[in-house]
Amino acid sequence: MNSISCADGQPMEAILERHPREEASLIQVLQDVHRAYSYLPCDVLVQVAKALDVPVAKVFSVATFYKAFSLDPQGKTIIKVCTGTACHIRGSGQVIEEITRQLGIGPGETTSDMGFTLKTVNCVGACAMAPVLIVGEQVHGGVKPAKVAKALNQEGHRDAH
Amino acid sequence: MNTLIVNGRHVKAREGAMLLEVIRQAGVSLPTLCDHAALEPWGGCRLCLVDVTRNEWDGWAKMVVSCMFPAEDGLIVRTDSPRVVETRKVVLDLLLARCPDTPLVQKLARDHGIEQTSYQPNPEPTDCVLCGLCTRVCDHIGVSAIATVNRGAGREVAPPFHEAPPDCIGCLACAEICPTSCIPFTTSDSKRTIWGKAFEMVRCTQCGRAFITKEQAAFYDGRNGVPASYFDTCDECKRRAQAQQFSRLSAGAGR
Repeated sequence: MNSISCADGQPMEAILERHPREEASLIQVLQDVHRAYSYLPCDVLVQVAKALDVPVAKVFSVATFYKAFSLDPQGKTIIKVCTGTACHIRGSGQVIEEITRQLGIGPGETTSDMGFTLKTVNCVGACAMAPVLIVGEQVHGGVKPAKVAKALNQEGHRDAH
Repeated sequence: MNTLIVNGRHVKAREGAMLLEVIRQAGVSLPTLCDHAALEPWGGCRLCLVDVTRNEWDGWAKMVVSCMFPAEDGLIVRTDSPRVVETRKVVLDLLLARCPDTPLVQKLARDHGIEQTSYQPNPEPTDCVLCGLCTRVCDHIGVSAIATVNRGAGREVAPPFHEAPPDCIGCLACAEICPTSCIPFTTSDSKRTIWGKAFEMVRCTQCGRAFITKEQAAFYDGRNGVPASYFDTCDECKRRAQAQQFSRLSAGAGR
């Protein structure tokens, strides 16, 4: 489960303290909120709108515009599989299939224990390393389906400590 | 005063005018969807595009959206050059693909020689051309209850979280400004609904007709010095009272 509840005002206050209370801070505040909650909870968006004196409609507009923001709860670890041209040609499709086989989630989905969210991205700018798999902050290059399990487990270990 | 040449004719432009205004002044019609006299130019629909050049540009010209391009002195404007006509057709063709069943879009397309879109028509036809007039008028009024959400092909106008918008005052400005009338609403003497929100109406103390919503009256109360009592009577009764006063004041005048 998500460890931080939406009603928890603590991270919110700390985030708002870091930024000037003006419309121009909106995206930075949303990025910090996304980092703290791993998604943008509806009630937090309303709080942000109030704090920065920006209409809720505008905050929702920005929150839905950027792919980097999610309005649905995300897994603890985000798995990104690059599906850019180079990665596609070098087999990112099979990498996705393998992840789906192991975790039971397709692109855009989150495991029921909120551990992982699988995303496909169009290009991470590391075509020489194709196909690229990013698990959390760890970038794996030249990934073969056989290497997927290890990459996922590594992240699991990091979380355990 | 700036002087420009529009399709070969010399035209004078007022200071601060945009090209679109000057072109229309010259009697040349240009189609637009996102332009509105009460709002800032936006450059969203791309229908008002024209070619501009100057004598010193040696024949080089650039295409600009005329609604947002300042009418500078010495500009030579063409609204009917082959590439402008062709590009405008592409824009209309794409619009018709998005809104295949919308009469206004069909008419604009037909006026430019397009009977049927050459693209794959939208499998889920919509009447919304995403001109942004509704969200811009809402911002202009100072309410900002609706905005565009998502991006690219999924872009749409919606209230926050796709729920009844808490900030909406039910003024219907969005529905009235919509060029394709695609924002549904209902209004009667007792109730008004729009964007899934229901509003109670304020009745005129004289004629008893419902003329604004309670939220509208509350929103304007005290704003720019408007007193709450201003909303006791409807516009029509206010005009009638004023006309009666005028006729009283002018009674006997001219004798």
